[in-house]
This record gives sequence, structure tokens and C-alpha cells, in this order.
Amino acid sequence: MSARLAATVMMIAALAILTSLGPAAAQVSLGPVNLEGEVEGGVRLLPAAPSQADRQKFEEYRDLPEGAFLGHLRMRIFTPDEQYSLEATGSKWGQRDQEFGLGLGRLGLWSFGFSWDETPHLLSTTARMLETETARGVFTLPTPRPPLDAANFGRRLGEIGVRWDTGRFSFRLTPTPDLELRADYTRIDKRGDRPIGIAFGGPGSNLLETLQPIDETIHDLRLKVNWAHDRWQLQFGYALSIFDNGHRLVTADNPCFGLPAPVTATPPGCGADAGGAQPSGGVSLAPPNQAHTWNLAGGVNLPMNTRINASVAYGLRFQNAGFLGQTVNPALVSPLLGLPAGSLDGTVATTHVSLQAVTRALSPLTLSAKYRYYDYNDVTKELQFAGRAVNDRLVVAENVVALRPDFTKQNADLDAKWRFGGLLAVTVGTGWERWDRNEKVREVPTTDEYFARAVVDLTPADWLTAHLTYRPSARRIDAYNTWTHYLSQHVDPVSPAALANNQSPLLRKYDEGERDRQRLDLLLSIAPSDRLTGTVNAGWKSDDYLRSPLGLQGATSWSAGADLTFTPFERLSVSAGYVREWIFEKQRARSGTDATSDWISDNADTVDTAHVGLKAKLSERIDWRLGASYSTATGTVQTRNAGGVTPPPAVSAKRVPAFVDSLLRFDAGLRYRFRDDWTAGLAYAYETFSQHDWRSDMLNPFVPAVGSSILLGTQPHGYDAHVVTLTLGYRFR
Amino acid sequence: MVPIVLALSASVASCTKSRSLELTGARSARVEELLPPPAPPESYIGVQLCRACHPAIAATFAQTKMGRLFLNAPRNAKERHACETCHGPGKAHMEAGGGRGKGGLISFARNDPTPIAVRNAICLDCHAKGDRLFWTGSAHAGSDVACTSCHRVMDNVSHANNLAKVNEIETCGTCHLQKRAQQMRSSHMPLREGKMSCSSCHNPHGTVSQALLKESSPNETCYTCHAEKRGPFLWEHVPVPENCMNCHEPHGSNHEKLLKVSMPRLCQQCHVLPGHPSNPYGTDPPSLRFTVARQCANCHATIHGSNHPAGRFFAR
Repeated sequence: MSARLAATVMMIAALAILTSLGPAAAQVSLGPVNLEGEVEGGVRLLPAAPSQADRQKFEEYRDLPEGAFLGHLRMRIFTPDEQYSLEATGSKWGQRDQEFGLGLGRLGLWSFGFSWDETPHLLSTTARMLETETARGVFTLPTPRPPLDAANFGRRLGEIGVRWDTGRFSFRLTPTPDLELRADYTRIDKRGDRPIGIAFGGPGSNLLETLQPIDETIHDLRLKVNWAHDRWQLQFGYALSIFDNGHRLVTADNPCFGLPAPVTATPPGCGADAGGAQPSGGVSLAPPNQAHTWNLAGGVNLPMNTRINASVAYGLRFQNAGFLGQTVNPALVSPLLGLPAGSLDGTVATTHVSLQAVTRALSPLTLSAKYRYYDYNDVTKELQFAGRAVNDRLVVAENVVALRPDFTKQNADLDAKWRFGGLLAVTVGTGWERWDRNEKVREVPTTDEYFARAVVDLTPADWLTAHLTYRPSARRIDAYNTWTHYLSQHVDPVSPAALANNQSPLLRKYDEGERDRQRLDLLLSIAPSDRLTGTVNAGWKSDDYLRSPLGLQGATSWSAGADLTFTPFERLSVSAGYVREWIFEKQRARSGTDATSDWISDNADTVDTAHVGLKAKLSERIDWRLGASYSTATGTVQTRNAGGVTPPPAVSAKRVPAFVDSLLRFDAGLRYRFRDDWTAGLAYAYETFSQHDWRSDMLNPFVPAVGSSILLGTQPHGYDAHVVTLTLGYRFR
Repeated sequence: MVPIVLALSASVASCTKSRSLELTGARSARVEELLPPPAPPESYIGVQLCRACHPAIAATFAQTKMGRLFLNAPRNAKERHACETCHGPGKAHMEAGGGRGKGGLISFARNDPTPIAVRNAICLDCHAKGDRLFWTGSAHAGSDVACTSCHRVMDNVSHANNLAKVNEIETCGTCHLQKRAQQMRSSHMPLREGKMSCSSCHNPHGTVSQALLKESSPNETCYTCHAEKRGPFLWEHVPVPENCMNCHEPHGSNHEKLLKVSMPRLCQQCHVLPGHPSNPYGTDPPSLRFTVARQCANCHATIHGSNHPAGRFFAR
């Protein structure tokens, strides 16, 4: 019996058993306990469903099979005095996105909870592969290798994706209303496959897109004690997170091994990429790690309407998985490939301190001050390597050190808010944020960003409130050392040519460089009556990167939207909303050392999102709902060469087609209540998704223009789907 | 009776006077000052009389978690007052013949003249600890957000947490329209599918972190589910441990993998190096290996960090 069939039988049995209890009484009595809850199940029909190849976006995070399904189940068993209760919940049983829940507790004293959630993440339904997975994460090809275009006739992989199974246990004890003890344990299991690339040759040579086996588990344990006194509150917590990975390496045979014919030949080969190609290659996967965090936080009320909150958190992260070998090629042997240690023995200490003070000692003035300190201290020993296996076929001698990226982030805010009666409140404030980074690792040792803030809260009428915020800021740096990382990493002297080849001195990285930022946000809340409410929201942000001849030059974005809900009378409610967002970035780069190789790219995204909805009570027994949502996004990348000089052909910029996607969903439903506790429902939903992306619209595993590289050929397709559901629900109480 | 009514009126008047007070922290001194003064026992009428005039409301309240506790298993005198625990003593209201606002009851409705600070103080008088510890000074407290803006305790509108709307996205989306819209983008986390919610990452009641994040930093928040990115790795891609949001837009993006900008342009904002030509890759054949499939990550597969001895360039 398949899992889905078993679940269907379970669901129907549950429905039958639970509903058979119903007619006995308004509240079902089961001897010493009572029962209440509801159950809804039904049949889902897909008169027009996407084909298997078109289902990736349709079922990206959900499962919508045809047939019987459990919409929702909740069952609570409780003692007549409500002191003890047991609650079971569930939905979508038997589906790949099913959920279960169980709660047990004594009212106001303790509670225990368990939940189980399965979430699919479908990544592709169109991939093809010629390799055979002989063991998990080991992909082989026959020798001699098939011609490259044979990859287009490889077997279809069906679904590529990862399923997340999340189990949670929680226990809460409240021995007195002022004391609470909590323990939570979460386990996330991820199983499946995900695309990954393996590069075989040196930079510019062929690659293979294959599958990364996912067999990962995260354990997360949290213990917390809360103690709330009248004047002070205290909180202590401990968190443990363990990540475990069942696989450390993916290996795959090189499709170019022994295929000297050019890519353009018939049948196509690999040309130069076949020369000296090793039979196979590999890529490492994330090593297991763990983290511990201890946290102490509290708040105290002081005289003169003053409160102080403080928090200290200290964390330790460890990673000590044994190193993989430098190469998967057993023929590649060199003393330069020796490792300085068997594992990283990686340790990172994090410290987070937060202080907040708020006072209203001088009414109606409110003063608040905040300070945060976050330190990331990587105390791992810097390991030195004498050489490196370049893609499993070549060893290069290079004395390099694996640097450790420490940083400290501090920020402080000071705000004063003055309220002028009930009409107006004005807040002015200032802030500061400093980053101190390891000067061996990053280009800028210290950045300081200074903020100003002005906020106006206006309530001109009972039905209207406005919240306007203006936040300019300026980030400044002490120095920009372009090659600090490269120089620190290399033990031996570095030639000027190597430096020039490493990075342009004209670049200022956007996360470290100097920046002026302007930001304006407006929120209007409208409630002319209880029947009409709405929100208007608008924002604008502009970033100007200073003294940055190359890199990100500027970024501007704005958004505006409104949302309204109108309930003309009790039986009818309509809502509508619309948001437009526009995001723009301008970047400049250079592909050589010559300014004629400069190019500029204007990247813009325009996104429109709208929704409408209607809920009506047609009679005492019939509810009707109608809804539609639409979202469309257009992304453009307009690249052009800078200046009037004709650039070399290789760096001649060309426009690329826009990326466009849109999602429309329409749904309507009728719900009819009969015999008081029964409901029958009929719902219809239509979804259409389209995506136009020139990069993947017609992508095959082998594309001659891509060269000798072999891909999976994943193409996110659009879809149209009509979904009809018939449901029957029963409420027992 | 008259003195009682006067006392209540005075209490409300003083509350109204302090309408602007947003200092509603976890059972702070301010909270105690904001709370109406203790009323004499005879000013309470008991839940039976409340139910007599408000049977429908009482019935729905009895189905809620708070209603079950107050009506069935009160742990102290405060909880035993049931309806009057939050709305205040009801005798004056009853003797005034009932009606909205009569007798000084606090209705918690949008147009209730009771200051938000006072309304919040009533909630915080019991809900002081746990996730509300840092309410004082939080962004929402500073913006005069009422507890009842987001929560509804009189009936079960949401499955959990007594939200004012059916779920968190709808509740938070009342004001955060852009964030709600972002979940509709083609590259998104499973928010609109109901597998995540705003509180998966944020604590709207206030935290010690920026952006109301539940963990100490953006990265620690992401590592809760993406612990494989945590490292430490032998070879670190140095912006990664600093902030995932250097490259990703977690609320939703129209670019692959929640990226702020599509690769290779995203990578080329920092990597302008002649050694690995930073060409304006586009649709021409030599460019395609950098623009199709996984773009830069076709080769740099371990871009979040590599623990491979030969993984200095994140290709191993």
C-alpha cells in the first residue's frame, strides 16, 4: 500500500470515527473527559494540472496531489474543569508537506508540545544526466567517454529537491506566574539532492553540473529560565546547535577525459579541455560543526520612570572535521600536497553585549539610549600550506596562510522624543556604528557610520495617524588597503605583476567603502470608521558610494503601497492592496588594466504586487469568498562600455534580455453549514506562473556555445493549474 | 456608588492625560503607575453578570486559551476577576445601564480613549517576562503600537498566539506592506506556503538585536536553519561571516537564491580583477559559462566557505 493511499485511508477513518461521536451532545463526553475539535477533509481535483516537467514552481514548497486529502484536524480532550488537556492537530496527512502536532498540558502550570512538519523544496523537474550514481555522491561515466552531445539524451532525473523534516519538542513549566522554565528541542533532517558544479581543469576549463547529495541533520536545543519580579526581570538561556553532514565529498567523472575532438566536431568533443584532463574530480561539502551560546538578560525599573535592560551572550563555535585530501587523483603525488594538520580545529568565540536605557524623568520628553557590541573572534590557528592541487591535475607551489576573519561591530543610538499633546510627537536622534575588522584580512580596518534621525508622529484626527521617518547617514573609513588580504595570505614576497593581476586599486567594496545614505519612510494608518481601515506605506532609499571609481557606484530604491479593508455591513468585507517596488543599482568594473575596458551596468528591478479579496455571508449558513493576487517582476541588466573609446571585442558590453516572471492566483470558495456542526465546501483556484529568463529558457545539458561544460539543463517552466476541492467538515464540541 | 464612579473617572482622566506615555515596559514602574488603582472588591460584579448581557462575547472568549484559564483555573485573585481583570471593575458600567465606554470600562477598541500606554500596561501586567522582556525601547513600543493592534484575545481568529488576523503574515503585513509583498516573489522562503512565519526570524516584542531579530546577529538567525553555512571553514569568504545580507534578500527576490542582484553582476560588484577577467558577461558564447546555470558558482561551488585544503578559491 502506498504512503498516499495509506494516508487517505487514515484520513477517511479519522473522519468517520470522529464524526460518529458527534451527534451525542453539543460537547462530546468521553466518560471522565470531554472532546472538542474539528476535522475537515475532502477531495482535490486537478482538471488542468501542470505536466511533470512543469511542476517545479507549482510544487516548489508544497504537495498538491489529486485525490482525498485531510485539510485540517484538531482534537482536544480535556477534563471538565479544563485543568488537563490533550490536543492533537494535523493537516495534509500522507502528503509530502504533511504536519502533525500534539500538545499536553495542565492549564497555567505546564505544557508539553510536539510537532512534525515536512516541507519539500523542489529545485528542478527538467534535469537530465548521463552519469550513473554508483554510490551516494559518486557519479561515473563509461570509458571511453560518450560524445558531449550525448548528455542531451541522458536519463531524465524527474524531481531534484530536498525535503526538510522538522520535529520539535517543547516543555514549559510555570510553577508560579512569575517563573517560567522552558526547554525546546528541534531536529531538522534534510534529505535529497541539489545541483552543484565541479570544475575539472584550471580556470576557464570545463565543468560538470551534477548532484550534491543532501543528508544533513541539525539538532537545536534551547533551555531558558525566565524570572519576573515586580521591579526586575531576569532571563538565562543556553542554546546548543549541532550540524551533521552525512557526506563530505562529491566526485564525478570528467566528461572530457579522452575526448580530444573539438566541441564543434561531429560528434562533439572537448578540444583543448581534453588535453591532460584527469579522469575525475570532486568538490567538498560542508563539514559538521556545533555552536554553544549562553545568554543572560535582564531588565530593572529605576526611580524617575527609568528602565534599563541589559543582555550578555557568549558563544563558541567548533568545527574539527578531518581534512579531505588535496586531490581525488591518486596519481597526483607531491610533497607540496602535505597538510599542516589533520583538521582545522576551528574555534570562533562570539560575544554580544547590549545595553538599553529609557527614561521619562522629564515628562513629556522620552530619552532612550542603546549600545550594542558584537565581537566575532576566530581563534583558530592560521594554517600554512606549501602547495595546492589545482583541480586534481596540477600541483602549484604556494606558501599561503589560511587567514581568520575577526571583526567587531559596535553601534549606539540616542533618541529624544517630545510629545506635544495628542496631536504631534517629534523624535530626533543620532547613531553611530563602527566595524573593526582584522586588518590582515579585509581592506578597511575601521569604518565609522554616523546616523541622524528625525521622526514625526502626527495624529491630526482620531482616524488618521502618520509616521514619517528621515534617516541620513554617512560611512567613513580610515584606509583602504586593496591588497592586504593577498599580501597577508602569501608568505613569500609577491611580485608587483601578481598584485596588479589580483585586484584593481580603484575598487572600493560596497560593504566597506565610504557611503552616504538617505532614507525616508512614511506610514499612514487610516480608520475613518470601524468599517473602513487602511494603510499607506512609502519608502525611498538612496546610497551614494564615494571615492569608488570601480565597484558599486550607487543604489536607489523606492516603494509605495496601499491596503484597504472595507466592511460596509457585517456580512460583507472587501479588501484590496497594491505595492510597487523599484530597485536600481549602478556598478562599474574593468576587465583589464586599461580604462578602455571599463564597463557600467545598470541593474533595475521593478516589482508590482496586488491583491483583492471579498468575504460575504450570503445567509446564516452560506459563506462566500473570492480572492485574487498578482505579482510581476521585471529585472533588467543594461551593461554598456564606459567612455567613447571602442573597447576590445572581449569586453564589448551587450545588453541582455530582461528577466520577467509573474504569478497570478485566483480563488473562490463557498462554504455551506448544515445541521449546525457540519460544513460542506466547494473551492476553485486558478494559478498561472510564467517566467522568461534567457539564461535557462532553452538550456540543455550540452550547449555548444557554453563550450565543453555539461550542465543539468534545469529549466524553470511556467505553469497553469486549475484546482477544485470538495470538502466536508465537522465540528465536535 | 458615586465615589466609586468618581474614582474610576478620575483614574481614566489621569490615564487620558498621560496618553502619550509609551514607556510600557515589562511591569516597569511606569506600568504600575499607569495601571488603574486597585478597586475595592465590591466594585467587581463577576463573570456571571458580564455574561448575562454579553453572552456571545463570553462564549467565544471561553474558547480561547486565556478564557479557559481565567474561567476555569485562575491562579490568583487577578485572574479570578475574569472579564474585569482587563476591562476593569464592572459595577459602574452595569449601574450606568451598560453601553460602550460607560462606567469607565476599558474596551481596547481602536477608538477607545484609554491611552495605548495604559492598555499595553494592562497586558504587560501579566505578560511581562519571556519574549516581552525587551518591549521597552523596542521599535514597536516607540511607535505607540498597541498590543491589541496585533493581538485579539476575545476569540480565536488565528490558530495560535491570539493574533488579530488569521496568521502572522497578515498581521504584520497590515503595516509592513512591502515585506508582505516580497513573499510573492519567485525566489522566496516558504512563507506564503505557511511553512515559515515572520516570527521564525523576528520577535516583534523587542530584542537586543537590530531589526528585531531573535538571534544576536543576522547570520546567527540564518544559521538556525542553514547551519551548514556556519563553519568556521578553512578558507573563509570573508564577507560571509559578517552578514548574509551582503548578498541575499531574505524576504524574497526575483533573482535566483534570494540574491539581491543576479550573478555574475553581484560578484562583480567586488571582484574586479584582471587575473580572472571581469568581463561584461552577457549572451555571447564566451560569456555563457559565467551566465547560465549556476553562473559564477558553476565553478565556485563552495562560495560560502570551503574546508577543502585546495579550496582557497572556493572551487573545491
